[in-house]
Amino acid sequence: MSRPSAGCVPRLAAGCRFSDAPGQGDMLLVPEGALRLMGVGRKIVERCDGVRTFADIVGELRAEYPALEPARVEEEAAKFLERLHEKRALDF
Amino acid sequence: MEYMPRALIAEITHRCPLHCVYCSNPLEMQVRQSELPAATWARVFEQAAEMGVLQLHLTGGEPLARRDLTELVAAARGAKLYVNLITSGIGLTAERLGALVAAGLDHLQLSFQDVEEATANDIAGARAHTHKLAVACLIRRHRIAFTVNMVVHRENLDRLEKMIALAEELQADRMEIANVQYYGWALRNRAALLPTRPQLERSLETVSAAQERLKGRMRIDFVVPDYYARYPKPCMGGWGRGMILIDPCGQVLPCHAAGVIPGLQFDNVREHALGWIWQESSAFRRFRGEEWMPEPCRSCDRRSQDFGGCRCQAFLLTGDAAATDPVCTLAPSHGLVEAVVAGVNAGAGAGVATSSPGWVYRADPV
Ligand code: SF4
Ligand code: SF4
Repeated sequence: MSRPSAGCVPRLAAGCRFSDAPGQGDMLLVPEGALRLMGVGRKIVERCDGVRTFADIVGELRAEYPALEPARVEEEAAKFLERLHEKRALDF
Repeated sequence: MEYMPRALIAEITHRCPLHCVYCSNPLEMQVRQSELPAATWARVFEQAAEMGVLQLHLTGGEPLARRDLTELVAAARGAKLYVNLITSGIGLTAERLGALVAAGLDHLQLSFQDVEEATANDIAGARAHTHKLAVACLIRRHRIAFTVNMVVHRENLDRLEKMIALAEELQADRMEIANVQYYGWALRNRAALLPTRPQLERSLETVSAAQERLKGRMRIDFVVPDYYARYPKPCMGGWGRGMILIDPCGQVLPCHAAGVIPGLQFDNVREHALGWIWQESSAFRRFRGEEWMPEPCRSCDRRSQDFGGCRCQAFLLTGDAAATDPVCTLAPSHGLVEAVVAGVNAGAGAGVATSSPGWVYRADPV
C-alpha cells in the first residue's frame, strides 16, 4: 500500500486525461472508462501536474479551505490519491 | 434523451491475420469491399461525441489491417473522443506506432493468446507470439496506457501465474484476463473451452493474490465465465443503455453478437445519423428498458443491475431472445447451463487439460 510522501510529485498516469469535449470537462478519462471529478477531488487532480509536490498540493488546499483542520486535509488528499493510484490513473 | 451512450465500439474491419477459436466476430463476416471509408467513420465519430460518447474502441478483426488506421485515430481524437485500440500487434512497426501515438492514440490493448509459444500459436493458428513480445517493448517507449489482454479457457488457465508474470515483465499498466464467452466461434468450441470448477477456483486465488501484490503497479481485471456465476452479467451495461457497436460495413448494433437474434433490423450509418439510430432504431428499442422482460426478471430485485442478462446468450441457448438468461440460477432454463457445466466437470478430477481438442478455426472473409 503506497501513501504519497510529502516530496513525491504526482501526475496523471499515461493514458489518463481530462476530457476536452464541450460540457465534459469534469470527466477524467482513463483506459476503458471515465471518472467524474467534482469539487475538491477535481481541485486535487488538477494540481497533479508533475511539477507540484504532494506537500505543495496540500499547502494550496489548506489555503483554499482554511476552515478545515490541516491534518484532515492532508489525510483526505492522501487517501484520495492513493485510490487513484490503485486504479492506475495516477503516478507518484 | 433518456439513455446516453458513453462508449462506441467500432469494428473497423473483419480482416484478421489470426484465426482464434473463440473469435467473437459473427460466423458470417463482411468483406473488405463493403468496409466503411474513413470519411464516413470521421462523421460518425463527430456524431458520437455530440451524443455524449466519451470512449471509442477501435477493434476488428485486426484494426491494423486497415491502412488508414492513423487517419481514423486522428479523426476520433479530433472529435474529442478517448481512443482505445485493441490489437493483436500483427503489422505494428515502430514507425506505425509512432504515427498512431502522434495522431492521438490514448490506450493500446495488446491481446495475447497464451504465454507459451507452442500453445499460443496453436490457438491463434499463426506464429504471432514472438512478434508480440517485441511489440510490447515498442509500446513502452511511448507515454500511452498499455493493457495486456489475455483470453483464458480450459486449455491455458493453469498457466495463469505465468501469464501475470509476463504482463508484469512487459510493464503493462493494466491486465485484463477474460474468460472466453460463448458466442460465435466460441460456442462451437465450448466443450473444449469451458474451464473445470477446480481450475476456476485456483484461478480466482491466483488473481486475488496477484492483485494484492501488484497494487499500484498493475491493475488486474478478471472476467469469470458466466456459466459458473449465480447471476448473469449486465450485458453491455444493459441493452441500448450506454453502448453502441458499429460493424465494418456501417450497421449499428446494440452488441457485438446481436446479429444472431432473428428478426432484428439494424440501421446503417450510411443512411441515418447515429443519434437517430440510437433513439429510433427498432433493434435498440427491442430490449431497452423493462417492458420486454419475462418472469422471473420482471419482478426480480436484480433487474436494474443485470437487466435479465444477455439477450444473445438467451437466444443461442433457449431459442428465445426474450428469455431470462439461462446462466441465471433463477431462470427456468438454467438446467441447460447446469448440464454443460456438469458435462465439463464429469471425470475432470484435478482439471488437467487434454491435448489438442478438435478446434473449429475462424475462417477468413475474402
Ligand atoms: S447481448 Fe450478450 S453478447 Fe450481446 S453484448 Fe450482451 S452479453 Fe454480450
Ligand atoms: S431473474 Fe432475471 S433479473 Fe433476476 S437475477 Fe436472474 S436474470 Fe437477473
